[in-house]
Amino acid sequence: MIEELFEIERLAYGDSPVHRLDARVKLVVVFAAVIALVAYPVDGSVYLLAAVMGALLLSLLLLSRVPLRTFLLRVGAILPFGLSILLLQVLFPPVAFASPTVLLTLPLGVEVTAEALAKASMIGARFVLCIGFVVLLSSTTRLQDLLTGARRLGFPSEFTLILGMMARYLFVFGQMFVRVRNALATRCFDPFDRSLPYGYRVRQLGNTVGTMFLRSYEQGERTYTAMLCRGYGRDAYLFVQKKPLSRRDWTVLAVCMAVVCGAPVLLHLAA
Amino acid sequence: MHIPDSFIPIPQAAVYWLIALVFIALALRWVRREMSEEKVPLVAVLAAGVFALQAFNIPVMMGTSGHLLGAALVAIVLGSPFAAVFVLSLVLIVQGVLFGDGGLTTMGANIINMGVIGGFVGYYGYHGLLSLTKSRFASAAGAAWLACIIPALAAALELTAAGTFPLVPGLVGMGVYHALIGVVEAAITAVVLGLIVSARPDILERAEGAPI
Repeated sequence: MIEELFEIERLAYGDSPVHRLDARVKLVVVFAAVIALVAYPVDGSVYLLAAVMGALLLSLLLLSRVPLRTFLLRVGAILPFGLSILLLQVLFPPVAFASPTVLLTLPLGVEVTAEALAKASMIGARFVLCIGFVVLLSSTTRLQDLLTGARRLGFPSEFTLILGMMARYLFVFGQMFVRVRNALATRCFDPFDRSLPYGYRVRQLGNTVGTMFLRSYEQGERTYTAMLCRGYGRDAYLFVQKKPLSRRDWTVLAVCMAVVCGAPVLLHLAA
Repeated sequence: MHIPDSFIPIPQAAVYWLIALVFIALALRWVRREMSEEKVPLVAVLAAGVFALQAFNIPVMMGTSGHLLGAALVAIVLGSPFAAVFVLSLVLIVQGVLFGDGGLTTMGANIINMGVIGGFVGYYGYHGLLSLTKSRFASAAGAAWLACIIPALAAALELTAAGTFPLVPGLVGMGVYHALIGVVEAAITAVVLGLIVSARPDILERAEGAPI
């Protein structure tokens, strides 16, 4: 996962109308979209909502000029766990349906019913779109802008400071991870090599992991001392300059929020 | 076991978020009060390190692979379950917002499972087993295994309560899978602890309040 970090940040440094939007606008729209999708009841009209949200997502994606392939790969990388939950749900429905239509009978009396499949695909549609929105957010907004945006939206100063420190060192340890992995590879060590005893492989990996743990702990100690030298203390906080939203930001925010809030309400009333 | 969005309805997700926020506040208070001085930056940097550690793919069995979660390790090494709550919450926020791994609405539930349950099970499991077996490494391994499987079972229960997961097959599926992954978590935690004991015993001494 950490190798993608550099790719994500590189994408986020791009330039497009979506990249130029204030981080606050993007944060609010993405959170609202995810909440709207999750809050919408699981019935047939969820596909209409998914279509509207999908259109919004697609238009933002096209505007942002994020390569579609990269976007789909990133979304695809997150899917397996959710899909396995959906699969279990189809095979063993948690709620009994009134008159199930059996499509397929598997050994051991497991039945696949049309109703369970329909429910799983409704949840699945919401799930994929939610991931899409989050991936779009992080592909078009720099980490530092996300943090200042969150701070301007009222995220506690103390927590923003901590997250900011963590974010900075993510890249340091990301590079360390790549170096360590390359060092293992130059010594022809492959943790999945079956010709080596399992215990040996786990011990080697454990030592590597432990070294990185200690290195990050010691980096933390050094950073802490350095911050003390510069006057860090109990009352330190992150200073973020106030910045009003531009007229363009307000327009985009209004249009997106109208879609995100209006669509579920109208669709639900119509259904 | 990062529960994604849309698997837990909003009202339940809100309850999990509230509980998670209480624990995050308690963890913040712990960092300020217990860690001798204002060592917030140290824990923040360590969280970035734990995020990187989770990237190591570790072979499990039959071609599958797992990765370290680290809740038990952090709780044992820093000497408090709240350390795990703090570090894992930071890691989960980054994973959720940057990568979409683990949903935004379900982040509260994920923080409860991996940070709170993982941290408390890891910490108290370690000290409970330590008083029984007297072996530091065996108890760390046992605690790490428990801190892998119990959060997974909790996640299965939460999904069942949300109506999106069958109870028995879900518990069996999540349980068996994480019992296997847990073996790796246990082995790696024990090896890492061994390394820390030989390289930086002072960290553990402060955590356990007794010389090694």
